[in-house]
Amino acid sequence: MFSGYLGELVQQLKKLPGIGNKSAQRLAMHLISGDKNKALLLAESIQNAVENITNCSICNMLSESDPCEFCADTARHKNFLCVVENTQDIYLVENTHEYHGRYFVLGNLLSPLDGIGPDEINFPLLLDLIRKDGIEELILALNPSAEGESTINYIASQLEETSTNITRLSTGLPFGGDIEYTNSITLGNALKRRYSVNN
Amino acid sequence: MEISYLKIQNYRNFRERKFEFEPEGTLILGRNGIGKTNLLEAIAYLAFGKSFQNSKDAELINFSKAFFRLEGRFKLSEKDHFIEAAADKNKKIIKIDEINISRISELYQFLKVVYFSPADINIIGGAPSFRRSFIDQAISQYSFKYIADLRRYNRILKQRNALLKEKFDPKEKRSWDEQFAHLGAAIIQQRLDYMQEFIPVLVDYYARISGFRENLDIKYDFSFPHQGDDIRDDLFNHMEESVEQEIHYERSLCGPHLDDIELTINDHLARNFASQGQKRSLSIAARLVQANLISSQSNEPPILMFDDVLSDLDKERSKEIINLLQGTHQIFIATPNSETYKDFNLKKIDLEN
Ligand SMILES: [Zn+2]
Repeated sequence: MFSGYLGELVQQLKKLPGIGNKSAQRLAMHLISGDKNKALLLAESIQNAVENITNCSICNMLSESDPCEFCADTARHKNFLCVVENTQDIYLVENTHEYHGRYFVLGNLLSPLDGIGPDEINFPLLLDLIRKDGIEELILALNPSAEGESTINYIASQLEETSTNITRLSTGLPFGGDIEYTNSITLGNALKRRYSVNN
Repeated sequence: MEISYLKIQNYRNFRERKFEFEPEGTLILGRNGIGKTNLLEAIAYLAFGKSFQNSKDAELINFSKAFFRLEGRFKLSEKDHFIEAAADKNKKIIKIDEINISRISELYQFLKVVYFSPADINIIGGAPSFRRSFIDQAISQYSFKYIADLRRYNRILKQRNALLKEKFDPKEKRSWDEQFAHLGAAIIQQRLDYMQEFIPVLVDYYARISGFRENLDIKYDFSFPHQGDDIRDDLFNHMEESVEQEIHYERSLCGPHLDDIELTINDHLARNFASQGQKRSLSIAARLVQANLISSQSNEPPILMFDDVLSDLDKERSKEIINLLQGTHQIFIATPNSETYKDFNLKKIDLEN
C-alpha cells in the first residue's frame, strides 16, 4: 500500500522523535489527502527554517542571524555567561526575567553511552569564549540528571585554574527534575539562589 | 495487612477465577503443574507491579488471549483499598482506588509481600549477585531514597563503563567518578544501616531454628579496601588507583554492584560448606527477618508467601520456623502435600476442584 513517493514520505516521518509507524502513516495520509496548499506551505516553512537557521558562531544557539540577537545585544552584561543544554532552555531562563547576561548552548550533555564527549558538548568553543571575553561568572543552568551532573563536574574541573566564578542552580528543582518542566517562578528562584561549584 | 479478594483473568493458566481469602491466609493445594505458583505470583503482582519470576508481562498473558487482568481488595491500616492491574502486549496499567499510578515504585507503599521462593536457597549458596538482590529488594520495599539512589547509580555505572571502552580525557572520567563514589558510598551506607538491624535478629532466629547448635556470623564484604569510616574517599581513591585495570577490563571493578555479604556458620563459609538443610533454613530465616523489619518499620505485617519451601526440611527445623511465624502475618502456602503445614490451621483452596 505504501510504496513510491508515499512510502518514502512515511519513512521520513518515522525518523522524527516520538513518531511510530502508525502515526507516520496517519500523518502522511493527512498531508496528501487534505488541502494540498497547506501541505506545500508546511514543506516551504521546513525548507526556510532549515536553510536560514544556523548555529551562532559565538554562543552556538540556533538563530537566524550570526551573531545571534543575544550576542549582538550590547546592553546585556558582557561578563555573565549562562550555560544551557539547548536553545529552548535560553527562552526558559529569559522568561524568569532574573538574568541579563549572555548565553552559551552546549547542544548536548556528556554521555559516553551515546558517544558524547567534550567535543560534542562544544567545550572548546566555550573555552575560547571564556578566555577571550574575561567571563566573571559562569552559570551552569543544566538538568540535575547524572549526565547534567557529570557535565557540571567536567566544566568546573577544566576551569579550576581560571578566576571565573562557576555557579550552578540551587537544588530547588525536584530530584531528577527537568528544567523544561519547571515553571518560570521555580526556575527564577533556582537562578537567584545559585551557588558556587567547589571541587 | 491482608488481601481478601482476588479476581484473575487470562493470567498464565487461569482463564477467569475469583478467590476469597481469610485474614489468617490460605493453604493452596493441588498437584505440581496445576498453577499454585501462578496464583501466588498473581497476588504478588499486585504488590510488586511485575512477576516475581521476572517474566515479561507479555509472557503472563494466557496464550489464547490478548491481555490479562487482575483485581484485588486488601486492607491496610484498617482501610480497604481496591487495586487493578492489566497488561496487553504493549503496555500495562495499574490503578489503586481507581487512580492510575505513574511509577511502579508508588505501589510499594501499599501491598507488601515477602515471597519465600524455592530459589531463595541461592541467597546462601549462590553467586554474590543473589545476596545483593536480596538486600536491594529488602531496602527498596520501604525506602524511596534507596530506589532512587540505586537507579541513578546504575545509570552512572553504565555511563562509566561505556567511557572505559573509549579514549577519554582524565577530567571527563573524574566527572563520573565523583558521582559514582558519592552514590556508591550512599548505597553502601544504607545497606550497612539495614544490616545493623537485620543481623541480630537473623542470628537469633537461626540459633533457634538450629536448636542453638549453630553459630551464625555475618559481615559486609567490600569490593575495595576499606578501613576507616570514610567509604566515599576509600571508593574514590581505589578507583583512581585501579584505572589501568579498569581500562583493561573495560568496566568498573569496585563499588556496591560488586560487594557481597559473607555468612559463616560455626566459622565455615556458608556459601561453600553449608548443607542443603542449613542453606534452606537460613534463607527462610533471612526472609523472615526481612518481613519482620517491614513490620516494625511500617507497623503493618506484610503478607508472607511460601512456595513449598518447608517440605525438604527436617521436622525440628520446620517446627521451629512454624513457631517463629505464629499469628502475625497473613500467610499463603502453596504445596502438593498439606501434611507438612497442618500446624498452621489454614483454610484450604484446592486448585483441582
Ligand atoms: Zn550567540
